Amino acid sequence: MKFSDFMNVKAIKAELTAEDKEGVISELVEALVDADAIKEEERDNIVKAIMKREELGSTGIGRGIAVPHTKHPSVDQLVGTVGVSVEGVDFNSLDGEKVQLLFLLVSPPDRPGDHLRALENISRQLRDDTFCRFLKQSKNADDIQQLLEEADNNQFVS
Amino acid sequence: MRIVVLGGGTVGTSIADLLCRNGHSVTVVDNDAAHARRINNEMDVRTVCGSASQSSVLFQADIIGADVCLAVTGDDEVNIVSASMAKGMGARRAIARVYAPVFRDLSTFDYQGHFNIDRMLSLEHLSAMELARGIRNPGSITLENFARGELEVQEVVIREEAKHINVPLKSLDLFKDIRVGSIVRENKMWIAGAEDEIQLGDRITLIGERDDVEKVKDAIQKHRGTKPGVVIAGGGETGYHLARTLENEDYAVVLMERNTERCEFLANHVSRTTVVQADATRRIILEEERVGTADYFVACTGDDENNIMAGVEARDIGAKHVMAIIGRPDYANVVGKLGIGLTVSPRDVMAKQILGFLNTGPVISNMSLTGGDIDVYEIEVLEGALASEHVLAKVPFPSSCLIAAVMQQGYVRVPRADTRLKPGDVVVALIEESQSEEALEQFRVNGR
Repeated sequence: MKFSDFMNVKAIKAELTAEDKEGVISELVEALVDADAIKEEERDNIVKAIMKREELGSTGIGRGIAVPHTKHPSVDQLVGTVGVSVEGVDFNSLDGEKVQLLFLLVSPPDRPGDHLRALENISRQLRDDTFCRFLKQSKNADDIQQLLEEADNNQFVS
Repeated sequence: MRIVVLGGGTVGTSIADLLCRNGHSVTVVDNDAAHARRINNEMDVRTVCGSASQSSVLFQADIIGADVCLAVTGDDEVNIVSASMAKGMGARRAIARVYAPVFRDLSTFDYQGHFNIDRMLSLEHLSAMELARGIRNPGSITLENFARGELEVQEVVIREEAKHINVPLKSLDLFKDIRVGSIVRENKMWIAGAEDEIQLGDRITLIGERDDVEKVKDAIQKHRGTKPGVVIAGGGETGYHLARTLENEDYAVVLMERNTERCEFLANHVSRTTVVQADATRRIILEEERVGTADYFVACTGDDENNIMAGVEARDIGAKHVMAIIGRPDYANVVGKLGIGLTVSPRDVMAKQILGFLNTGPVISNMSLTGGDIDVYEIEVLEGALASEHVLAKVPFPSSCLIAAVMQQGYVRVPRADTRLKPGDVVVALIEESQSEEALEQFRVNGR
């Protein structure tokens, strides 16, 4: 699976402004609402579902990266977006570092295979330090979109 | 029925004992030879010594012909693996006991679905739900244990005149996203039907997803009274689940926990509960925290003696109702005399759940609601079942049968008239005892 299969480029946020975990998650969900990927009335439910998942263990996987996600019946296809927080936010990450790079994913419950494949793609691409560094340094959404495309073309994964 | 119990610890032996007394044929598997021998001597069960996660051992336990396999060792992973194997080898139903909440969550990975286990039960969660029920209303409907805990059930007393009163339920827009489960009027409880009307003074239950239920509740109860205060002693898994359940309702919850790190965890994971770092077994602390003014004091520290002492002290200070988790069955008789109104034994709670699983055909589990003739059924929709041939409105269910929730692909929905059941779905239904046969007929295939 590729980023282009589930990333909503209209919802990419190169400059997240919120300063806490729930704040940045809400910001990204809001961006997906604005991009018509998530229904407005489901916004709060989805944020809640993602936060509920975080309670079981942070999705901050270290090196300044977090992959908040949930399954939700209100979406009929995988929707994802990327956000960058220049200052970084506290995410109770494994390594205690602040999170700068967030990949947020919402999947329909009836496609567990796709959900896992998307998570797998994200984590595989994020193993590349150059890719991560470029993403964190991105100035705008277009830069991020271009990086995702390059990743899809296997320009980062050796 | 033939039942295989994996794990002969306190939970396993008490369940095996109960099942024996109910006339079932029970096999217990335990990996400790001396322990297995002792169980064999004390109870009328067959024992097999060995690891529950080895196919040879399961085979010896005759898992292939088993109706139900209960994996209740002290180890979550062993329980999951062995329950899954039991199901794969031919046990009709498999249940695993798990401690960690993550196993019951499916946002990252669907354990229950992946391992093809019929139910993951958490002793701590079940105990918390039992306590919550004692606090809300002992006769209330509990569905939290069904549908993976995604269902919210709340009770509301109709105190105000409003436009939804004395109008048939079917013509009310208010209830389109939720179901009205039962109505209690003049001490009589029945399952709400489309033609029923709500009257002033009725106690009704609302079933649905949490936010929808809250919305309807707000619309019905404009003026909520003062919140009853609940003090929970012990912030373990049970206390935490209880706080989480009650804080979203109309209770002011205080959670007392001794351990600093656990307090930090709790403070980060509750929303409206007040977390206090304190030793609830000390009277001076209970006085400081003004437990005397509490409506409910719940002791669930993980230690029977501490729970009893804290409960007695709280009662003495003036707490109105005192409840406690008591593990040892021989304490049960005494604690009532000490002023502890309700005791919950995790083993009994587990046993009650498990008895509900001893069914045949499409029924996965069933439980009676206390103080009524209503049963809650969890039913699997099989290929070819009559219930799946039409949309729900056209399935000829008897009048007192309410399909409260449908679980499709792990997600819980409140069904509507145009919902059509599909094979593989699991429904939660409230059925009046006298009509259960008629209702279940819609789910049976070839008379089974």
